[in-house]
Amino acid sequence: MKDERLSRGSIINYVIALAAIFSLNFILPRLMPGDPLHAIYGDEALVAMTPEMEAHLIRQFSLDKSWTEQLSAYLIGLLHGDLGFSYYYKDQVSAVIMGALPWTVLLTALALALATVIGVVLGIEAGSRRGRLLDSGLMTSLMFLGGFPMFFMGILLLLIFGVSLGWAPLSGAVTPYAGLEGLDYFMDLLRHLALPVTALVLVLVGDTFLITRNTVVSKLGEPFVLTARAIGCSEFAVKYAHTGRNSLLPVVTETGMRIPHLLIQTLFIEIVFSYPGIGSLLNTALYSRDYPLLQGILLLVTVLVLTVNLLVDLLYRKLDPRVRYAH
Amino acid sequence: MHIDPLRAIASDRLALTGLAILSAIVLMAVLAPVITFFPPDHYTGRIFSPPSLSHPLGTDSMGQDIWSRLLFGARTTFLVAASVAILSTTLSVLVGASAALMGGLYESFWMRVVDAMSSIPPIIIMILVAAYLRPNLLVMILLLSILSWPGGARIVRSQVLSLKERGHVYASRTFGASWGHILKTHIAPELGPLLTAMMIQDARRAVFMDAGMGFLGVSDPMIISWGKMIQQALDFTYLDVWKWWLLPTGLALSLTLVGLCFLGFSLEAAMDPRLMRRSVEGAGEQC
Repeated sequence: MKDERLSRGSIINYVIALAAIFSLNFILPRLMPGDPLHAIYGDEALVAMTPEMEAHLIRQFSLDKSWTEQLSAYLIGLLHGDLGFSYYYKDQVSAVIMGALPWTVLLTALALALATVIGVVLGIEAGSRRGRLLDSGLMTSLMFLGGFPMFFMGILLLLIFGVSLGWAPLSGAVTPYAGLEGLDYFMDLLRHLALPVTALVLVLVGDTFLITRNTVVSKLGEPFVLTARAIGCSEFAVKYAHTGRNSLLPVVTETGMRIPHLLIQTLFIEIVFSYPGIGSLLNTALYSRDYPLLQGILLLVTVLVLTVNLLVDLLYRKLDPRVRYAH
Repeated sequence: MHIDPLRAIASDRLALTGLAILSAIVLMAVLAPVITFFPPDHYTGRIFSPPSLSHPLGTDSMGQDIWSRLLFGARTTFLVAASVAILSTTLSVLVGASAALMGGLYESFWMRVVDAMSSIPPIIIMILVAAYLRPNLLVMILLLSILSWPGGARIVRSQVLSLKERGHVYASRTFGASWGHILKTHIAPELGPLLTAMMIQDARRAVFMDAGMGFLGVSDPMIISWGKMIQQALDFTYLDVWKWWLLPTGLALSLTLVGLCFLGFSLEAAMDPRLMRRSVEGAGEQC
C-alpha cells in the first residue's frame, strides 16, 4: 500500500514539473514586448513571411483570440505531436529533432556504458587496496578530472588530439561524401566517436569510481568476505564475485540518477565537436533564433529526463526492497 | 555532532589545495586593475598579436588584451558565485527551516514545490529563459538563485527536523524558550558547517551554469565572462591563437571549478560520520 502511494507521489511531481515547462514555453513568447508572433517565430523569420502565411499562423496559434483559447490551441497542438515549424531547417520541428536524436542517444549510451564499467573496475581495485598509492593516486586524479566542466574537457582533447596531433577528425559524426560502406563506415564512425566519448568518460568516471570504492571498502570488513577467503576463493573471486557484486546496488542507482546530468553535458560536448545530435541543433536554434526548434528541443530533453528519473525510481524500488520500508 | 569547518579544512590536504587555487584566482581578480596594462574593452590596435611584454597573453580577434579580459572575467565569475551562494542558501534556510518548524499544510506545500523543482534540470529553464530575455547580470544571479535553492531547502528541513527533537532542545523548551531563541542558539550553530558546504555547492553550480550560458552565447553581451571568451575563441582553433586565448581561459574556469569541488568534497567528507570512520580506519592501516 505504502509503496504505491509513494510512487504515485513521485508521478505527481513529474506531472507538476512537466506542466511548469509547458507553461514557460507558452508564457515566455507572450511576455515579450511587441507582437507574440514575432516572439514565437523570431524577427528573422517574419522577413521572409508573406501576409497570407502570417494570417495562417495567427489563426493556427489563435493569437487573435483570448488567452484561454490560445492555451487550448497550444495544448491540442502538443497532443498531436505538433511542435511547430522550424523556419531555419524548413521542416517540422519534430522531424528535425527525430533526425538528430539517434546520434545523441548513441553518444550518451556509449559514454555511460564505458564510464560505468571503467569506474566499477577501478573502484573495486582501489577499494581493495585502500590507503595505498594506487588508491590515493586514482582518488585525486579522478576527482581532479571530475571537477572539469565537460565542454572544456572536450575542447582540450580537440586541441591536443585533433588540432595539434591530427590523430582524430575535428568535427562531425562521419566523413562527409566519403561513400564508405560496411566495416569502413563503422571504423569511420568510431574514429569520430573517440574524442567526444573520451571527454565524457573522463569527467564521468570519477563519480562511479568513488561510489564503488567507498562501498567496496565498507563491504570488505563483512563476514561473508572472511568466509569466502576461508573456503579458499581466489583473490580475484573475492574481489569481483563477492565484494564487487554486493557493491553494485548503489552503483546502479547512482548511474541512473546521473543520466539527466550526462544528457545535458552531452549537448555541450556535441557543440564542441559539431556532432550532429540534439546539442548541435540547440546551438543552431539559439544562434539563428529559431524559437520553435529551441522550445521543441528543450521540451524533448525535459520529457527524457523526467522519464529516466521515473524509471530509475521504479527500478530502484524493485531492486532493493528495503527502500519500500525506508520512508 | 560539532564540526568546525575551518579545522576540517586545515587538516585536509585536498581542501587546502582547493583553497589555495581559489585564493590565488580571487587575489588576481581583486588586483585586476593593478596588474593589467589595458582596460579589458580597450582596442589596442592589433588583432591576434602573440604574447609579448605589454600583452602577456596577446590580443584577441577584437584587438583586446586577453590577460586583462581574463582577470576581469574572474571578477564576474566570483561575483556571480558569491551572490548566488548567499542568496540561494538564504532561501534554502528560510523555506527549509520554516517548513520544519511550522509543519502542516505549509510544510507539505513547500516540499511539493521542492520536489517538483528538483525534477527538472535547472539548466533547461536557464537556456529557455535566457534565449528569450537575454538576462543582464542581476537577472542572471536572481534566476540562478531561484533555481538552486530547492535541494538545500530539503537538506535544511531534514536537519532542523532531527535537531528539534534533540534532548537539549526539549530541555530549552521546558525552560520556556521561544522558537526564535531555540533557532538562534541551538539550531543555527549546528547548521553552520552544513550551510558552508551548501554554499560551496551552489557557487560551483553557479560558476558552471554562468560559463555554460556564456558558451551558448545567451548571456549579457556587455559582460566579460570566461564562458563567452571560450565561445569566441573556439571559432579560431585553426590559428595558433588558441594557445594563449582558449587554453588559459578554459584552465582558469576549470581550476575554479576543481577548487570548489575539492573544498566541497572535503567538507562533506568531514560531515559524513561513515566516511570519517573509514578514513580513521584507513589511517590506522597505514600506520
